[in-house]
Amino acid sequence: MNLNRSHFLLFYLAMTAAIASGLAIFSSASNITLMLQSAASGLFVPLLLALVTAFLLDPLVGRLEKYYVGRSAAIVVVFLLLTVLLWLTGSWLIAYSQQMWDSLLNDFPRYTSGVITYLQELQAVWQRRLPLLAQYDLTEWVRGAAERFFSFLLLATPKSALRLGSLMLLVPLFSFFFLRDGHTMRRKLVALAPNRYFEMAHDLSYLISCQTAQFVRGRIIEAAIVGLVVMVGLSFTDIRYAPLLGLFAGVTNLIPYIGPLIGMVPGILIALVDLGLGGQFWWIVILYFLIAQVLVDNFILIPVLISRFANLHPVLVILAIVMGGKLYGVLGMIIGVPIASACKIAFVEVRHYRRAFALPETGSDPSS
Amino acid sequence: MPQPWSRIFRHKSEEETLGGFLAKVPIFSSLKNRDLAYLEKLVHVRTYHPQEIVYEQGDPGSGLYIIRSGRVSLFTRDAQDRKEELILLGPGDFFGETTLAAPAARMVSASALENCELIGLFRSDLLATADKHPEIANRILLGLTMVVSERLQAATLELRRLHFESPGSAGDGA
Repeated sequence: MNLNRSHFLLFYLAMTAAIASGLAIFSSASNITLMLQSAASGLFVPLLLALVTAFLLDPLVGRLEKYYVGRSAAIVVVFLLLTVLLWLTGSWLIAYSQQMWDSLLNDFPRYTSGVITYLQELQAVWQRRLPLLAQYDLTEWVRGAAERFFSFLLLATPKSALRLGSLMLLVPLFSFFFLRDGHTMRRKLVALAPNRYFEMAHDLSYLISCQTAQFVRGRIIEAAIVGLVVMVGLSFTDIRYAPLLGLFAGVTNLIPYIGPLIGMVPGILIALVDLGLGGQFWWIVILYFLIAQVLVDNFILIPVLISRFANLHPVLVILAIVMGGKLYGVLGMIIGVPIASACKIAFVEVRHYRRAFALPETGSDPSS
Repeated sequence: MPQPWSRIFRHKSEEETLGGFLAKVPIFSSLKNRDLAYLEKLVHVRTYHPQEIVYEQGDPGSGLYIIRSGRVSLFTRDAQDRKEELILLGPGDFFGETTLAAPAARMVSASALENCELIGLFRSDLLATADKHPEIANRILLGLTMVVSERLQAATLELRRLHFESPGSAGDGA
């Protein structure tokens, strides 16, 4: 085989073209992923909220469907009822919360300075006892963090109001379609399974979606009740912002173990600054710890609402919170744990399923 | 009627529609016409190639299959993995109904003999129906009970016949 110059030229051209097209494909692929990522970045929160809304409204829609109302019509009726409810409460609620938010922004510097005074006294005590820690200035650190947080609040309020507007448009839209077509979507997805595995995929998808829906519903109802208990309990005292503190305690209650502790910090700090170390302060501490957490949540709500095997090991909870926080900030911290629980539900269901059908070998000796 | 018009206004005959086909299956005999539209959306239509396995003995069973077209063979395997054919089923027949109500492993294997269209109805679909439309689920379960009890009765008679026919059993029958 004799190779002449034209062969080499051809080989060189072919290799160059191959490398160039490879590079082009690689860069366009990464460009496309980047584009998709930036296009979908704003959609994660509305999609997630819509999914949760759909889980919450599904039982209502199902109840209407029992009377042979079409699914779309049933969803429209539920949405209309919700709109009317929001319309009736909205005008009062918005003015009330606006007023509360404004006065909280005014009070915020007072609360931080109160906390910092306490911390200064505390710091003086421990620096006297442990001279080793003299160089660490916790008070200054807290002051800096509080200032940063306050300026963030002032800046973020108009921005989050804009986002709230887009959420109010997108969430009902997405949740309408999740409610109407969620079942069909699941069916179509399962139908892609090969014949041999179709039956198992269908069974498991049903079990997992039932358990997940029940879990999400349970968690939201639990958080709402805990928030309500805190709000009602706080309104017996002279503390201000009882509704906001109840809301905060409810939202943070979605995170197991750590959430309730974070949820009680602002309430206890405000009580400390405004009410001092009196009877009311201790009532608030008892309310947060004993009544809301131990009595209502642990003894009543969790056994009734949350299935036992959705519980996560504390290490997994911390991992989920850290990883969720890395990916999506504060929101990631809240939703990381429910997503990890949903994964665990899927895992446990698959294991149950396998165990339920693990029969002795049918071909073996029947006497064994 | 010219060709295009007849194509547009052509109605599917009752046998051609899925609902019409399902109405003739004994399990669904007590369903009303209104329920059939719901049932059409509930079942799963699957196509199988010749020799394709539908399920194997010992697989988790969760529902029944109705044959719309083609033939299906039910068989068992012995310890040496040899097939022993039990029965051949054709269009309109159904199999696997015992696992519809109670979860159990499949007692036999099923495979398609030719290109088949099978219609599956599974326990999870029935559970969802029991939640949403209890009366439809009731009618399906009634049909299922009817079919299962008929088959149980036939099996009991067959067992009795075998018991009396087998040599040496006539005297010591309980």
